[in-house]
Amino acid sequence: MAQSLTGITFNIQRFSTEDGPGIRTTVFFKGCPLRCAWCHNPEGLSPHPELMWYDVRCIGARDCLRACLVSALELTPFGMRIDRRRCTLCGKCVTACPAGALELIGRRWNVEELFAEIAKDAVFYETSGGGVTFSGGEPMLQAEFAAALAAHCQQAGIPVALDTSGAIPWERYELVLPHVDLVLYDLKIFDPERHRAGTGLDNARILENARRMAGRGIPMWIRTPVIPGYTADAENIAALADFIARELPTVQRWDLLAYTNLGQPKYHRLDKPYALEGVPLLSREEMEALHAIAAARVPSAVWSGATRVEAAEAGAGELPGRLQCG
Amino acid sequence: MSTSVSQEVLTPTALWSPAATLSPRVRRLRDQYWSFYTREYTNEVRAYTTGTPWDHVYSPWNWTNVPEMMMFFEGSKAYLLADATPVDLPAGFWDEPLIVRRAIFFKRVIEQYLPAQILDGELIVGSHFNTALSRTLTRSEAQEFSKMEKRFMDEVKRLNRLGVGNCGAVPGHLIPNYPRVLREGFRTIKAEADAVVGDPSTSKERRDLARAISICAEAARAFAGRYAGEAERLAAGEADPQRRAELLEIARICRKVPWEPAETFTEALQSLWFTHMLVMAAESYPGPGLSPGRIDQYLYPYYKADIEAGRLTREQAKEWLQCLWIKHNYAYDFQGWVGTNQGINSSFGQLITLGGMNEKGEDASNELTWLILEVIEEMNLLEPKPNIRLHAKTPAPLLQRVVEMAVKAQGSPFLLNFDENSIAGLRWEGLPEDMLWDYAPVGCLENTLQGCDRSGTVDVNLNLAKAVELVLHDGRDAATGEQIGPRTGDPRTFTTFEQFFEAFKAQLKAILELLIAANNIADAGRARFEPTPYLSAIVDGCLESGKDITAGGARFNFITVEGIALATTADSLAAVKKLVYDDRAITMDELIRALDANFEGYESLRQTLIHKAPKYGNDDPYVDDTAREVSRYWTTLAFQYTTPETGKRYRGGYLSWNYWIAYAPSTAATPDGRRRGQYLSNGVCPVNGADRLGPTAVIKSVGHLGLETAPNGASHTMSFSPSLLRSEENRRKLAALLRAYGKIGGTCLQLNIVSPETLRAAQKDPDSYRNLLVRVTGYNAYFVMLGKEIQDEIIARESHAL
Repeated sequence: MAQSLTGITFNIQRFSTEDGPGIRTTVFFKGCPLRCAWCHNPEGLSPHPELMWYDVRCIGARDCLRACLVSALELTPFGMRIDRRRCTLCGKCVTACPAGALELIGRRWNVEELFAEIAKDAVFYETSGGGVTFSGGEPMLQAEFAAALAAHCQQAGIPVALDTSGAIPWERYELVLPHVDLVLYDLKIFDPERHRAGTGLDNARILENARRMAGRGIPMWIRTPVIPGYTADAENIAALADFIARELPTVQRWDLLAYTNLGQPKYHRLDKPYALEGVPLLSREEMEALHAIAAARVPSAVWSGATRVEAAEAGAGELPGRLQCG
Repeated sequence: MSTSVSQEVLTPTALWSPAATLSPRVRRLRDQYWSFYTREYTNEVRAYTTGTPWDHVYSPWNWTNVPEMMMFFEGSKAYLLADATPVDLPAGFWDEPLIVRRAIFFKRVIEQYLPAQILDGELIVGSHFNTALSRTLTRSEAQEFSKMEKRFMDEVKRLNRLGVGNCGAVPGHLIPNYPRVLREGFRTIKAEADAVVGDPSTSKERRDLARAISICAEAARAFAGRYAGEAERLAAGEADPQRRAELLEIARICRKVPWEPAETFTEALQSLWFTHMLVMAAESYPGPGLSPGRIDQYLYPYYKADIEAGRLTREQAKEWLQCLWIKHNYAYDFQGWVGTNQGINSSFGQLITLGGMNEKGEDASNELTWLILEVIEEMNLLEPKPNIRLHAKTPAPLLQRVVEMAVKAQGSPFLLNFDENSIAGLRWEGLPEDMLWDYAPVGCLENTLQGCDRSGTVDVNLNLAKAVELVLHDGRDAATGEQIGPRTGDPRTFTTFEQFFEAFKAQLKAILELLIAANNIADAGRARFEPTPYLSAIVDGCLESGKDITAGGARFNFITVEGIALATTADSLAAVKKLVYDDRAITMDELIRALDANFEGYESLRQTLIHKAPKYGNDDPYVDDTAREVSRYWTTLAFQYTTPETGKRYRGGYLSWNYWIAYAPSTAATPDGRRRGQYLSNGVCPVNGADRLGPTAVIKSVGHLGLETAPNGASHTMSFSPSLLRSEENRRKLAALLRAYGKIGGTCLQLNIVSPETLRAAQKDPDSYRNLLVRVTGYNAYFVMLGKEIQDEIIARESHAL
């Protein structure tokens, strides 16, 4: 039964230090019900594979053009043009490209395969109190697969954290939650209308699912992206703070995550428009002020991420550092 | 969780400044050390000759592992000899056997010639120890010496020029039995030697060594006595009563140690320094790799007793330790006029070891461990270089403290040694099980036993990637056509990867044997013509075996072959396997033509090699298995050889020092997509930028190598961007990463915490960043002293890390 289940992911990140306690592997499930204007993982929105082209890697060898059976590719002076209606996602161009400039985002796994990938870092989870985090996209869109995978991890002693938008029918959560140790729960906008405007969906179910989850006693970390023009105002943060303080007793921590524009190039690679084009990062003062509002009601609130002044000084210093050897 | 991501650009003063808490005395002594260009006292090399026209005061084979010095050898020899002070020799000197001559000469020099100077305010004394001592050879010995030297130099120059590697009979790089000197004094060493001298049943060779040891033990006493006399002289003229009391205490201590056993902490520190500095004087080698070992263990009984008896306060102990710290740095005066920064361009590596397990496998750290950590942090100096042994039972607070220091400290970066993985190697090379727990590394990271083991840890350096070039060219150097290895055939005719791999192994064996053959000359030459009886006096096994340390007299003797470019080699072989044989995506002919063209006109093929074949460092068995097979092949092969003259067994290790750069131009383009001149891989690290899955994957690839067959240990550096380690929470995650490293990783690790912004600032304004240290491989280097190319390389590496 489990063998026939498959799931689709768009990334597996090892040594993930920002998605829960300890050293973790974050599995990014592909497909999401929300359409947040600021989303920095646009390749996680569609539940299907997508072809991406990296301009910096392309050496102009044109092997991809010759390999494409449906003539979906055209190398123009402005970059690769992908006719996404023609493209059958066969992957021949990816194989042909010597430089790795084309990539088919979205890999299908069965439970055993993906578990084996997760289990590679078991020793690190053990020494750090870490584990695996299901993120996305929205892992709950693949609830059966996620449940089977989580059960497998649980059996192997690997703690599971679920990072969810909350925007999925509660019955689906019932499948997964028995195998989950921690929920990273996204609360973005408290006002229903503004929520719909920013994410495409009403937040009634999100708030209700949060209450239910807390009611079941599941430890929760709330995560709020702080986005200029969408979530980054005192009124919104105060309302969220009030909701968390009143209704979510199992919340251990609330992360305010400053807006990052690192997703921007991905939009271009996917031929998608970016709603926050040209919007600057927040300033440290703005973040500190919002954090003060949050912490007044929810003492576990912390903030992190890049801010404007530092960003100018330091470039991309906000990313969790990868490391290199030498 | 951190609340900030600001990336501060550290100023030099922040990087390289002592703690504000240093006592005025220590601060002044530290400042004085950094004033080489203006201070009156310097510990520059003093040369001493027998006065014969054929004398030698300098041996190139001591330095041939530093190939960039080769062009200066003749000059150094001539200049040092011309500058040498003739030493008045006692009657009958030339009738003595060489080893006794060396002892007499050493004694003369340290008793009568080497200045004994006490610096204002210092508590630990012993100032002049950089020497170039006569080899005290007779005319015929000198002729033989020169002949061997020439034979050796011709071959080592050839192998170096061809990018095969280098070798030499390198001094230093061991841990003498200092604890024994502290415990028993040179008095006991001399008594034991005298008993052998008077034993007619033993061989003449052994009695000669015993006589030489006896003379050297006596010399150490006389040398300390000169400092006692100097302290008394200064005390007599000292107006300040506090300093006068200190000088009289120094005099008392120097009258006692290292001749008598040390009985207090301060006596132990002074005994340790005299004994240590005299090794450098005796070997005429300024400290590289001469390592004090586990000082928090063997100094602890003295510390504890003094504290408990109320004779010493913690603060006093710290100040004495800080005075000892400064002394180690004067080794660099050896090359004080070379370049900037008082000639310091990388650390010599007088390595001290902290923590680790005891004989029961429990943690051995103690209050002194913690006190020494404070000293390291407050002094922020290059020497002595700190290492901490970590193991499963290292207490969490200690590990966290070390992580915090490693993240913050720019001046005194830590080497982390992993007991379980290191001990596995020492067990594999056959050392006694009951001694393994007490191992310690020397120099950069090279594991040895303490007090009884010379493992020649940087003597032979082998470029593994050269074997890839040779197999592709039927044993010939690609640039010159010179036949280096056997004719294994045209690889275009190989039908399977196994065939290719066998030919590769034949080439690797051939170049290993070339280096071993050359090294055997240097090893024999040093054994015959450069005995160092002072060192033999303080290394277990020499008096018992009747052989000088240079002749293999120590209880355990190895010569280490350090492998260079493991990842470049593994990635190259994996690319051939995958693309030529498995996928048949390219032909061997295409590959060879592309490599011979250095990829000019073959960019598409080069990209294929880079992107379509797996790379070591990503926890991918396809290539990690190849890396393991290569590593275990050559290390077990090396272990089958011994030196004919001295019976030392060759053993493997990975420490590519600067050779991963030095041999980049002399290694042809490789099938991993590397062009000639691009750097080779370093230690057991992946090729720069080839690891794409983060530190856990790298650690697993390193662990997969099965490094016990490389008992010397393996250099591994991981660079972390400061942004990763800004929060305490994430520093705890780093500690957990280190715990996991001990379970599944390699033998040792260095952490590089440097931001590209700091490096770019230093590149633009070198004068302001003269003290900015970066870790290169198992050693540290001043960033601004590095060439633009490698600076760019390091910046690229760090930027990539973000």
